[in-house]
Amino acid sequence: MKNLTYFGIAIAVFALAPIFMNDAVLYMLGLAFIFTVYCVSWDVIAGYTGQVNLGHTVFIGIGAYTTALLSTSRIPHPEMPVFLTIFIGGIVATFFGLAIGAVCLRLKGYYLALVTAILPLIFIQLTNIYSGIFGGYEGFSIPFSKSLPGGTLGNYYISLVFCFSCLLAMYIFVNTNIGVKLRAVRDDEELAEAVGIDVVKYKLIAFCVSAFFAGLAGALAVHYKLTVGVDFFSIPLMLEIILGVIAGGIGTFYGGAVGGFLIYIAENWIFIQLASYVNTFLPFRVSDEMILYILLIVLIIIFPQGIITKIAEFLSGIDKSEIKIFR
Amino acid sequence: MSVVEVIVLGSIVGGIWALVASGFSLVFGVARVLNFAHGTYFALGAYFAFVLYTVLSNVVPSTAALLIASAVACLMVGFVGVAIYTFTVKPVRNYEIMVILVTLAVALLIKEILLSVFSDVSISVPTFVSGFISIAGIPVTYTRILAFVLSISIIAVLDYFVNRTKLGKEIIATSQDCEAAMLVGINVERVFTVTMFLSALLAGIGGILYAQIYAVNPMTALRVLIYAFAIVILGGLGSVRGSIVAAFIVGYMEVAVSTLFASEWAEVVAMLTIIAILIARPRGIMGEG
Repeated sequence: MKNLTYFGIAIAVFALAPIFMNDAVLYMLGLAFIFTVYCVSWDVIAGYTGQVNLGHTVFIGIGAYTTALLSTSRIPHPEMPVFLTIFIGGIVATFFGLAIGAVCLRLKGYYLALVTAILPLIFIQLTNIYSGIFGGYEGFSIPFSKSLPGGTLGNYYISLVFCFSCLLAMYIFVNTNIGVKLRAVRDDEELAEAVGIDVVKYKLIAFCVSAFFAGLAGALAVHYKLTVGVDFFSIPLMLEIILGVIAGGIGTFYGGAVGGFLIYIAENWIFIQLASYVNTFLPFRVSDEMILYILLIVLIIIFPQGIITKIAEFLSGIDKSEIKIFR
Repeated sequence: MSVVEVIVLGSIVGGIWALVASGFSLVFGVARVLNFAHGTYFALGAYFAFVLYTVLSNVVPSTAALLIASAVACLMVGFVGVAIYTFTVKPVRNYEIMVILVTLAVALLIKEILLSVFSDVSISVPTFVSGFISIAGIPVTYTRILAFVLSISIIAVLDYFVNRTKLGKEIIATSQDCEAAMLVGINVERVFTVTMFLSALLAGIGGILYAQIYAVNPMTALRVLIYAFAIVILGGLGSVRGSIVAAFIVGYMEVAVSTLFASEWAEVVAMLTIIAILIARPRGIMGEG
């Protein structure tokens, strides 16, 4: 119940935020909401189920390209409203989640990480090979008529509502009976199997749920930005997602949400300012990505368990170190 | 396309990949570290050699400059490998996912730095020898032959070092059972450091040889990493001999696909093959898990 109260407060604050903020900040906050969904959906598969999926951007990219192709005349298709194409993006991503989950079920630990790390690169290569359809590395833009309704303010509220509905749905999901079973699979797969949990089935469910929300979020981002490109699949995006979840605390739900939101804002606002400031007195060019990577390295070395988890531990005096999924 | 062409050109590429993959595999086998920064050593080798050669060629004759530049560049890459291990990997070694993330972040950071310093252009390292001969009607430059001979000899030396010398035996012992190795008085931390140095050195040599034949740019680090993954998955994680065999298989496959279809298909086919193999045999052809 306490968590739902926080949920409510957060929604209220963000719903009132447009009164105080200009369009540029609102535009960025809207994207930060979408990014939060990327992070939490990754946490569902990595933090709750213990499957180190380094190819989460595949789902985001599949959702993005699906809706983008359905919004342009690059492939033949019937005319569809924007929200339907976004939903189809989520569904197609779910099928890929099912397929990738089925392949990766046989793989454990390191092999899973290696194979899933390769997957986005396959898709990046394919978009380049079939650049006639997918627009190559640069991608393509979608017509203005396919944008979300209501201008910047409308976009902001749509992604706000989208973000909190997805978070609520995933929150309910991880706290149902299924969520408990997923954590059992994460903590000890053999033991889970021994007590009668169908490990294969629950891993697949987790992959599908994670893929569905990632695909939806990717698809929404396309209509938000009106452009699609291989950056939806990219490794730096994957790293940012992971950074968000780790900064917040992996496998804690709220950690991924808060961490993801803050990291997005830090990367797209603070780091860019910082980089341009540092560049005024340094002999070589420092990009905002460099600051991001340095922060990530430092963060991992100092707090391998996640900063917000550390703070929560400190405040409550409870040792959460029994969360040992990645040890 | 002839079969001979695939065999000749594939062996050369395979030799370089073997250098890269054996180091990657060795580090995993000994320290259980999946080093996503491994491709970076490859790129750094080429860049260090390029910069040193450019500087030195003003002072000493170009052949000497090239030899010194290559040797020093290899050593520098080795030390960079040790530094990355000591400062970033070692503090988080017990968290396997964190090792992956921290090395990936290091790889991307170095890529950004290379982009910032050298911009997005490709560089090449001057060749040790010039000229070419025909092998079964295919012109092959001496540089490529030298690259093949060098990579085979270095792998032979590595094999001798690991299997015959005392330090090599310590490495094997550590890879078999880290705690037992500690109990019999092996300084495991030193073994890890030596392994890291060797692995980075091998990748650096691979990078220099590659940059003499093709060209290297900041993005190469990630491309090489894909091949390294492909090879070690195929050969089995931690099996050095498995990865050497797999390196040649991947090399032949790369050349065959590039000549049959187009070079951009080479990576896709390699990756798809690997996934297919993993479905059939989740531990690679020679891996023990």
